[in-house]
Amino acid sequence: MAGPTDDYVRVMPAAEVAEEEIYEFEVDGELRILTRVGDEIFACDGICTHEYAEMSEGEIEDHVIYCPLHGSGFDLRTGAVTSLPAVTPLPVYDVKIVDGEVYVSRAPRGGGEA
Amino acid sequence: MSRRPVYVLLGAGVAGHFAADALRQAGFDGQVLLIGAEPVRPYDRPALSKGILQGTKEPQAIVFQPEEFYREREIDLLLGRAAVAFDPAARRVVLDSGESVSYDRLLIATGANPIRPRLPGIDLPGVHVLRSLADAEALRAGLLAAERVLVIGAGFIGSEVAASARALGREVILLDLLPAPMSRVLGPELAAVYADLHRAHGVDLRMGRGVAQLRGRDRVEEAVLDDGTRLDCDLVVLGVGVRPAVDLATAAGLAVDDGILVDEHCATSAPGVYAAGDVATWWHPALGRRIRVEHFDNAGEQGAAAGRAMAGQPEPYAPVPSFWTDQYDTTLQYYGYPVPWDQVVLRGDAAAFSVTAFYLAEGRIVAAAMLNRPKEHRSARRLVAAGAAVDPAVLANPDTDLRALSRQFAAG
Repeated sequence: MAGPTDDYVRVMPAAEVAEEEIYEFEVDGELRILTRVGDEIFACDGICTHEYAEMSEGEIEDHVIYCPLHGSGFDLRTGAVTSLPAVTPLPVYDVKIVDGEVYVSRAPRGGGEA
Repeated sequence: MSRRPVYVLLGAGVAGHFAADALRQAGFDGQVLLIGAEPVRPYDRPALSKGILQGTKEPQAIVFQPEEFYREREIDLLLGRAAVAFDPAARRVVLDSGESVSYDRLLIATGANPIRPRLPGIDLPGVHVLRSLADAEALRAGLLAAERVLVIGAGFIGSEVAASARALGREVILLDLLPAPMSRVLGPELAAVYADLHRAHGVDLRMGRGVAQLRGRDRVEEAVLDDGTRLDCDLVVLGVGVRPAVDLATAAGLAVDDGILVDEHCATSAPGVYAAGDVATWWHPALGRRIRVEHFDNAGEQGAAAGRAMAGQPEPYAPVPSFWTDQYDTTLQYYGYPVPWDQVVLRGDAAAFSVTAFYLAEGRIVAAAMLNRPKEHRSARRLVAAGAAVDPAVLANPDTDLRALSRQFAAG
């Protein structure tokens, strides 16, 4: 089993992730975002699956992240489309907290790209 | 053994696609036949006036789903076929191939057709409409060869086509009988911002003007306006609206008033027949009146609602309608009901093309339009959904925290 630094990337201290604020970061040249809803931190792709737009400019409401461009909604927990115009789910990533730091998986969770 | 029921979806556009998907998601296991007049799988129609015209998107990139999607779900696609007759008593549709298709339930999602005004010269080569992918490909080819483009009608399609033609470096004249682009829907205040936007991008705006005739020897060469002005142009785009494609339904005796009349479950006046999308005039239970909406979001969501209703899982369809328009480097998101308003409140910096417009009727917010204000989308939507009564001065005040304000109102 590989250690957290192999399959996961360290992003930021968990204590600094504010409720429904969106934090953008890069993994292997790709944009990802991080946010917190309640006690849980979520990570997903940083670009909408419909047209090019940075999801960090969007908004969070009830576990859904909305694209700033056309209002496509994605469930942060699964990546599933909750509102049009997107038809393709948003890849989501596993998050774990180690020693107070947020780690996000390099590879998307299987269900996110179904 | 009972026969497998057959559900036929007429129209393989946005509404038809999402209806087919919803039928399967709702567990319908009979036959699903999706029949479309265009020879292409269902696609993202809003991309036609932007990505396709500008050449930044290829047609194969805008189809919603690959063929496997339909195969896996056993959705039979019959493309390049249109219905020419429909008999609700016999539950049968006749196609232009002569084929007759029997159905147990039918969805009419035939959309709308562009209006071609009766103008002298309207049939000259070089005069385009934009509705289908084929229209878009022909218009793109025309734009690439054109020098001076006249867009008749500054609604959403006309305004987006004007912006795309400018992106291709063409000279563009944008003309409308109304005083500013999209003013019927957006109101004069926000429409004036769009007039500035188009002028800033070099469009020759001719507002408050109509076209008397189009002229040319072998193809369109000039337009004569209602005040006698003559404008050279080698390509004309008509963006003067659409008519819902109701002919089949009317001939079959269904109740039609503008669109095909449906209830909040997308059911028409004929048993087992549903309608959704641009073609449907529907009863909005929260609004307490009938409306017809010609936008992508409604086509998709109402198509899905119709699919669920056909599958035996009806839920009242009562959304806050929404649409967007992308022109140049701007994006506008709109949430709201197509009802009259008596006051418009602007928030933001119109000169910088960053402005939100709230539309109020008797003090309550009935719609909101956000031009380049993505962080206000959800708050504005909540205020619209709640029909919130908010002091206009508070809405206009840049220091007002819209998010906090909107959360005081119960989510609708």
